[in-house]
Amino acid sequence: MFSRRTLLGGAAAGAATLGLAACGGGGGSADADAEITTLKIMAPLLSDTAPDPEGQLQTAIEEFIGMPLEITWVPNSSYSDRVTVTMASDNIPHVMVHTGKSAELAQTAEAGGYWDLTDILPEYPNLTPENEDVAHGASINGRTYGIFRLRDAMRASVILRKDWLDNLGLAEPETTDDLREIARAFTDDDPAGDGSATTGLIIPAWSGYGNNGPYDLWETWHGTANVWKEEGGSLSPAFLAPEFIEANRTMREMVEAGQVNADFATMDSGTWNEPFFNGQGGIIADVSSRGLQLMGLFKDADPEGYGDKVTMVGNLKNPDGTLWALPTPGYSGYLTIPKAAVPGDAQLATVLTALDKLSSEEGQRLLNNGIEGVNYEVDGDQAVAIESEEASLIQSDVSAFAQIGTQSNGYLGLPAKPEGEAEAALDQKRLDYHEADLEHAVFNPGSAYMSQSYLQNGAILDQIVVDARLKFLAGQLDEAGLEAELERWTSSGGQQVVDEMNELYQQG
Amino acid sequence: MVMTNSPAAASPVPLQTGQEPAPGASSTRRKRSLLKRLRRSPMLYLMLLPGVVYFAVFKYAPMYGITIAFQDYLPFLGMQGSPWVGLDHFERLFSGPDFGRLLSNTLILAFLNVVIAFPAPIIVALMLNELRKQMLKKFIQTAIYIPHFLSWAIVSGLTYLLFALDIGPITVLFNELFGGRVNFLADPDWFRPLIMAQTLWKGTGWGTIIYLAALAGVDKQLYEAAMIDGAGRFQQLRHVTIPAIIPTVIIMLILNIGNFLDTGFEQIYMLTNSLNRDVADVFDTYVYFMGITNGAYSYSTAIGLFKSIVGLILILGANWLAKKFTESSLF
Amino acid sequence: MSIKHDTRGDKLFDGVNIALLLGFAALTILPFVYVVAASFATESEIASRPFFLWPNTPTLETYRYIFSTDTFIRSLLVTIGVTGVGTLVQITLTMLMAYPLSDPNLVGRGLIMRLVLFAMLFSGGMIPLFLVVKELGLLDSYWALILPLAINPFNLIVIRTFFQQLPHELREAAEIDGANEFTTFWRIMLPLSKPVIATFSLFYAVAIWNDFMSPLLYISDSSKWTLQMFVRQVTISSDPSTTLGNLDPNYVPPKEGLKFAVIVIATLPIMLVYPFLQKHFAKGVMIGSVKG
Repeated sequence: MFSRRTLLGGAAAGAATLGLAACGGGGGSADADAEITTLKIMAPLLSDTAPDPEGQLQTAIEEFIGMPLEITWVPNSSYSDRVTVTMASDNIPHVMVHTGKSAELAQTAEAGGYWDLTDILPEYPNLTPENEDVAHGASINGRTYGIFRLRDAMRASVILRKDWLDNLGLAEPETTDDLREIARAFTDDDPAGDGSATTGLIIPAWSGYGNNGPYDLWETWHGTANVWKEEGGSLSPAFLAPEFIEANRTMREMVEAGQVNADFATMDSGTWNEPFFNGQGGIIADVSSRGLQLMGLFKDADPEGYGDKVTMVGNLKNPDGTLWALPTPGYSGYLTIPKAAVPGDAQLATVLTALDKLSSEEGQRLLNNGIEGVNYEVDGDQAVAIESEEASLIQSDVSAFAQIGTQSNGYLGLPAKPEGEAEAALDQKRLDYHEADLEHAVFNPGSAYMSQSYLQNGAILDQIVVDARLKFLAGQLDEAGLEAELERWTSSGGQQVVDEMNELYQQG
Repeated sequence: MVMTNSPAAASPVPLQTGQEPAPGASSTRRKRSLLKRLRRSPMLYLMLLPGVVYFAVFKYAPMYGITIAFQDYLPFLGMQGSPWVGLDHFERLFSGPDFGRLLSNTLILAFLNVVIAFPAPIIVALMLNELRKQMLKKFIQTAIYIPHFLSWAIVSGLTYLLFALDIGPITVLFNELFGGRVNFLADPDWFRPLIMAQTLWKGTGWGTIIYLAALAGVDKQLYEAAMIDGAGRFQQLRHVTIPAIIPTVIIMLILNIGNFLDTGFEQIYMLTNSLNRDVADVFDTYVYFMGITNGAYSYSTAIGLFKSIVGLILILGANWLAKKFTESSLF
Repeated sequence: MSIKHDTRGDKLFDGVNIALLLGFAALTILPFVYVVAASFATESEIASRPFFLWPNTPTLETYRYIFSTDTFIRSLLVTIGVTGVGTLVQITLTMLMAYPLSDPNLVGRGLIMRLVLFAMLFSGGMIPLFLVVKELGLLDSYWALILPLAINPFNLIVIRTFFQQLPHELREAAEIDGANEFTTFWRIMLPLSKPVIATFSLFYAVAIWNDFMSPLLYISDSSKWTLQMFVRQVTISSDPSTTLGNLDPNYVPPKEGLKFAVIVIATLPIMLVYPFLQKHFAKGVMIGSVKG
């Protein structure tokens, strides 16, 4: 057995070397007066290869901002681990990309680890947010600790098998009732015309609540608020409102009638496209880029006749004609500036000036499109890819460098020109829907606020909602059971979240 | 028969040398060796030195990190700057509404691992050892260790493919044979069998390697001696082969028990859904969910510490039992 | 003697044994054949056929893509180098430490064994280890991928058990001949430990080969990245229900065929090591002959 002596011996051995290791913690400070001559950035890498530091694109960007770059690319799948150890060491970059509003970001920011940019950003025209709603949602309890990375605020769509609609003589849906009728017809009326077994809506196993999933879309279209419901100046969870139950009641009817794939609780989300492509189901509610992906699959199989297989519409109206559209948060993470690496005001100005340049029109095109005339040509207001070995190298670097672009002042890069006519038409259609839907967007009134108890238990609490909803749809819970489970959310800590959110909301 | 002066070859029962001389060994021999011990020690310690330095620098020096479990650790503040919270994280774990369910799910899976997944490679290794055709043996060995190299993401993808409702090849076969319409992936009753099937599929072949190495170390003369004594295949298996790997089996069992509460996060997480979550949630997946949250680094360190302490108690208990009833033990 | 009787029973035993093992081998090999087949298939074939062992329209496109980037070749070479050197260092250090610990007469053996066991169960975590590696100046060095994992306590304990099982008469005989401990270890114990060396070299090699966390944390220079960084980038697909998949329209998920191809080329080289080591797993060694 372990004797006390043994354990003490071990502890002593550990303590002896503690001095060696512990001195690294706490974020060693850089000299506040030293000039920043090389901009150090840490960023997640989403593509499969990291850009070459000597590459053409990085060189062009360095020339443009007038400063060499030193970028640490970190594979995205474990980015947060690397952020953690980096913040614990004294080797911190000048600009740290964060992929989301994490608890660690909020706590480090509030403890003074990152510059509070609330009053500083307005001095930089290209870092001043264009969209105030998104900027407010991206703030942490009203303060700006980073420059958010702009994303499309509207991406929701309903993707349908166009050939099936044509076979059955059905029009594209406008309301949720239309969609139910289409789902019924796709299930019962042999849309493929060959007697094969088909279903309407395809839904994969979906984790999380309030993350723009198919269920969230359906609920929003039925009038459910976006995560938090604002009424009379106070917030309450959207799923405790009757619209939530109502939306899921109709969804359950569709499930029971076989108009949703039977394995909706377990289907691997990585294979979401397959039943649609294989003609087992005809409707997907998801981001519109999936529609283009699906068209690509059909094109891969049939380069000639792919054009009439896929169509898309935007958010659906509820049966009485009201449109509630579900937006995304409109941003994806931030660029933050750690004080440990950038202690002085002059240094901060150097860093922000560089970032401001990168967010100008020319900067945005470098980061999002590449080098004009080398890897793309301008055609109207679209970018056309150039085919060459040199171009494909730059193109691969572009997909990495796009991660350090912010565009919070509005997107000034060029959208890529779709390959074929059918793609171009579908692309234009989705963009039109997005623009129209954005005017009916239901924003999340609580998005800026971070409740302490939600930070602690939020993931577990959300799980209660996700599981209850799914068990209700699968017929394992009746309506009373669903309400009881949702009540459990309140009693297992949810009430505290509601109270804290309201407190923050009144202050904000 | 090859003659040797090794006493091991004289009997079909090989030397099961425990590290200590048998209890009856004469004490005079021990005393005499004391001098020898001191004289020859320098060389042994020299050999030991690099390893000891390694453990001091890479294992014990970082050990102070365990204190994070008693803090609300924030990397930016460092270990000196982060606030102390005492046993808060442990209280949160033990008093949480899910603790009982997590504990029972974890224990059931851990138990299944010990009684099903642990013996499987031993049995397969013994079966392989009985193969006489070397080519066949090599082929099978190579085939069965392939799954070890596939990540859990791939294994889980294959599981979804094969067990999909209504269309998965295995589901179709199963429904044909037994009738009905089984939903492997959603039915809570099928969750544990699926996990076990995955574990066996992925790990059994790889697990045989260590036992094959143990079997390879058996003195061939023991088999020859046994055959001369008229022992058949089963008797050789019983009296030569199995005793030869028992020490390895016991050590492996003790070491495995130390990781008793490690149920494998990725594997379980990927097979969990809303309909089977009640039986699927274990400490490892719980840590992940809490991992998205405040003080996550501290909280997961605390849960890790809890698991390690349980492992330490179990391992010392198992070692004590092994020492008492067999000749093999850790120390 | 009952040799004839045994033979009939043997035949039945062998038959059943072979059938069971072949069945298991088929179960393990078929899914891998699917992975290989899918790596040569088109995207639409992967989407439309649930399980296949041969692609209808084989294509080399994914492999062409992989070999078109110099990243892959470079990271493959780095990984082979680190795995080779690392395995040698790790198995040497482990054997050197395991041998003295198998000596029942070593003073302090119990204490060291307890400390090893403790280190197996408890760890300080990712951050303190990172700080140690940093203080030692190993960041961005290949040694950071080798040294922190140099001795796996589990392997150490098992190897020690193997040493203990060797007849200690061998040692005593050697020492009577006047050999010192290291000579005994080198001349007598190591030759007898070939299966052990083969086994644990394989374990170490596979562990380094598959290690993802060490390069992620310790290597910033992307030209020093190992193969697993590349593999993870391609195979960890984005689940659309996670924030990334949903919020980052810039992210184009890698093609399915590419995922399968990457698995094949990242797995095959290390899998090929095994058949070379396999001869050391032959049944039984001749202890007498080594002694001779």
